[in-house]
Amino acid sequence: MNLPAKLREMASWHTMSPLLVFLAMLLTVSVLNSAYLGPLGISIVTASAAPILLVALGQAMVLNIGSIDLSNAAISLLGSILLALALPSLGIGSLLAILLLLTLIGAINGAIVAYTQVPSFALTLGTLGILQTAALVASGAETIYVSENRELVTMFYTYKLANAPLTFWIGVAVAVLYWFVLRFTVLGQNMTAVGKNETGAIFSAVPNRLVKIVTFAISGFTGGLAGLSIVAQAGSASTSGLGSNLLLPGIAAALVGGTSISGGLTNPINVVFGALTVAFVPIAIQAIGAGAEAQSLVYGIFIILVVALTTARTRDAVIK
Amino acid sequence: MTDHHAVLKLTDISRSFGTIKAVNSVSLEIRRGEVVGLVGENGAGKSTLLKILAGIERPDSGQIEINGKRVNFRGPNDAFKAGVGVVHQEQSLFTNLTVAENIDKQNSNRRGLSRFGIQHWSRLNREAAAVLDKIGVKLSPKAIVGDLSFVDRQMVEIARAVCVDPGAGVTPLVILDEPTAVLEQAETEVLEREIRNLRRFASVIFVSHRLDEILRICDRVVVMRSGKLVSDRLTRDITKDDLFISMVDDVAIAPHRSRSRPRASGNPAISVRGLSRKGRFKDISFSAHRGRIVALVGTNGSGRGALARSLFGAEAHDRGTIEVNGKPVSGWSIGRAVAAGLAYVPAERKTEGMIGGFSAARNVALVHHDALKTGHFLSPGRLARLAQTWFDRLDVKPNNIDLPLSQFSGGNQQKVVLAKWLTSPDLKVLILDHPLRGLDVGASQAVNHQIRRACDEGAAVIMIPDTIEEALEMADEILVMRDGELSARHDLTVQGTPAIQDIMAEMV
Repeated sequence: MNLPAKLREMASWHTMSPLLVFLAMLLTVSVLNSAYLGPLGISIVTASAAPILLVALGQAMVLNIGSIDLSNAAISLLGSILLALALPSLGIGSLLAILLLLTLIGAINGAIVAYTQVPSFALTLGTLGILQTAALVASGAETIYVSENRELVTMFYTYKLANAPLTFWIGVAVAVLYWFVLRFTVLGQNMTAVGKNETGAIFSAVPNRLVKIVTFAISGFTGGLAGLSIVAQAGSASTSGLGSNLLLPGIAAALVGGTSISGGLTNPINVVFGALTVAFVPIAIQAIGAGAEAQSLVYGIFIILVVALTTARTRDAVIK
Repeated sequence: MTDHHAVLKLTDISRSFGTIKAVNSVSLEIRRGEVVGLVGENGAGKSTLLKILAGIERPDSGQIEINGKRVNFRGPNDAFKAGVGVVHQEQSLFTNLTVAENIDKQNSNRRGLSRFGIQHWSRLNREAAAVLDKIGVKLSPKAIVGDLSFVDRQMVEIARAVCVDPGAGVTPLVILDEPTAVLEQAETEVLEREIRNLRRFASVIFVSHRLDEILRICDRVVVMRSGKLVSDRLTRDITKDDLFISMVDDVAIAPHRSRSRPRASGNPAISVRGLSRKGRFKDISFSAHRGRIVALVGTNGSGRGALARSLFGAEAHDRGTIEVNGKPVSGWSIGRAVAAGLAYVPAERKTEGMIGGFSAARNVALVHHDALKTGHFLSPGRLARLAQTWFDRLDVKPNNIDLPLSQFSGGNQQKVVLAKWLTSPDLKVLILDHPLRGLDVGASQAVNHQIRRACDEGAAVIMIPDTIEEALEMADEILVMRDGELSARHDLTVQGTPAIQDIMAEMV
C-alpha cells in the first residue's frame, strides 16, 4: 500500500505546514532581532493578528463551501462604527444587537447566492460597496471615539493572557469552535460536501441552500467579532483607520492556513497560524530593517511562497 | 482512386479496460461512398470503437489504415486531420457562436482564416457557406447556433465533421453516433436525406438503436456483441429479425429469473398517474409495490432517465401526480423525496452519486446520519462502526473506510453509494439509473445481489438497466419506453419472460 501511505504523508505535511511555516519565520526573525521573541513581540503580533484572524475564519468557512465573501471585511468595518456609535448610550447590549444585525446581513448574502445563483464573487463585491457606503454614512466620514462605556470593549484588548490580548483568544476560541463544527457535526459535513462536489451533495439530499445561508451568516457574525476587536484596540472606529483594510489579509491568512480556494478543504485551527504569519510579515520586514518601499514587494513574494508551501495538492487527483 | 478503395481499414483492433475486453479483435473495412450501419446493445463496444476511430482512445493492439496509409492517432486532432469527423451523441457545438465559427473551430488547418489572431470574417463565412452548400443545407453561416432548431444544429455538426481540407484529396469519413436518438419523426427524415447526400463525397458510419432506420439508410450493417464484430452483411441480404438475433448474446438468450413474486396487496410504495414533462416524457402511469423490481427499458432518448429524476424530485414535472404510500405528494423535491423514503443512484456516479474527496465513511453517513443516533453531531467512533458494518456486508475492497472514495474502483464506489442509501431505517423506493455502468462481472453480481436484498427487505425498486438481459434477470415487471411514452408493459410474474426481440421491437 505504497500510494495511500504516500498520500497520508502529504496530508500530514498539509496539516502541519501552516504551523511550521509560522515557527520558521519566528525563528528567522528572532535570530535577526531577538526583541521580537519576548513578551512585547508576542503582544504586538497577536494584537495585529486578532482582527485578521477573525475575518479570515469567516472567509475560510465560506471558501470551504466553494464560495467567497468579499464583503466580510466591510461587514466588520460597519460593525466597528456602529459599535462605537451605540456603545455610549446602549452599553454592552449594543454589541449583541450589532452581532445579530451583521449575522443577518451575512445570511442575506447567503440567501441571495443560494436562491438567485448570482456567483458569490460578484454578489459580495456588490455588497462590499453597499456596506462601505453604509459605514461612511453612519460615521459621517469621521473618526468615532467611544466617549462612554469605553472600558466595556477596551477590556477585550487591555486584558492579556500569556501576553496576548483577549481579542486574539476570542479568535482562537472561534477557530476551535469552527473546527469542531466542521469535524463533528452534520452541518459541518454538509458544508464540506457542498464545497467538494455540490451536485453530488444535492443528489444526497444535502440542504445546499441552507448550508450557504448559514455559512455566510457565520462569516457575518465572525466579521462582527473582528469589528469588536478593532474598537477594543483603537477605542474608536473610522472608515480609514485601523481595520479598514482587512479583506486581502483575511483571504491571505485563510490561504496561508491551508484553505483551498476551490472549496472543500479548510482547517480553522491552521487559519490561526495563517493569520499570525500574515500579521507577522510586515513586522518582520520592519524588524529586518527593509525600507518601506520594499514592504509590499516582500509581502507579495512571501505570500506566494507560503501558499505554494501550504496548499494541498492531492485534490487534483480527486475531482475532475 | 476507385470506388472500391478502402477509406478505412481496421485490423485486429482490441482495447481492454481492466479485465473487460471492450473491443476484441475487430477488423472492418469501409469503402468510399459507403454508408455502414453499426448496431449492438449498450455495452457491446460500439462507443469504444468509435472513440478509437475519433482518436479519443488508443487501441491496445491492432492497426488502423486510412486511404491505405497506416495511422496512429495521438488525439482527436490527428483523427480529424486524417479525415475522420465525428458527430457525437451529445452535441458539442458552441451555442453562442455563429455557424461559420463553429465549423471553423474544428478546422485545425486554418489557411489564412485569421491573421495575427484576427478573424478574416468574409473568408470564414465564404468557406462555411461552401461546406454547407456541399452537404446541401440551407443555413446562413452568420446564424447563431443557439437560435437553431435541434436538427439544424445536427446539420452544423455534420458540416463540421466533413469540413476536412479538400486539397488533401481525402475522402472524409463521417461517424454519426446515434444522431436521431432525440429527433422527432420529421426531423429524422431530413437527417436521413442528408446522410444519403453525404454518400456522394464521403463515407459514413451510422450508429443507431432504431433498426428500421438502419435498414433504410445503410448499404451494409455490422453488428457488435460483447466487444466482437459478429456480423457484417449487406442490407439487402438481411431482415430486422436477423439483426435482433445477432445483436443478442447467445449465452444470455434464456436468462433465468431466480425469483417470482405475486403482486403485493395494499398501497403501492410509489405510483404515478399521467406524469409528464415537456420534451422528456408524456402521460406516464405505473406503480411499484414494495418487494418488487420494475425495470424501465428504452433507448437513450426514450425519456426513462428524465422520468427517474422526476420521481426523485431532482427535476420538476409539468403534469400528473406522484403518490408515495398512497399519499399524493406536493412541492416535490430531493429533500422531501428522501424524507419520504426514496433513494436514487444516479448514472453519473462520479459527479452526482458521491463526494469523491470525502472518505468512504463520510460518504456512507452523508444522507441518513440518524442511523448514527447522535442528532446533529457526528461521533467519529459511531461513524466508523457504521461504515465498517456496511463495508463488511458489501465486501468493499480495499477494506479501508478512511480512504477517499475517489480512490476506490468503480464497482466498490457503487457499493458505497448503495450503502449510503441502504443505511436508511425505512427505505421504501430505490431508484437506480444504470447501476452497473462501467462495472465488471464480479462487481455487477455484487451490486445486483444488494439490489435484490434491498427488495427482499421491503423496498420497491425502479431500475434503468444497461441491457434488456439485465432487465430480464432482475425485474418482476418491465416497462418499455419509446419517445417519452410507455409503449408496453410486461409483468414477468404473470405472463412469463417475454422475448428479447419483442421488447426491442417495442423500443424502436
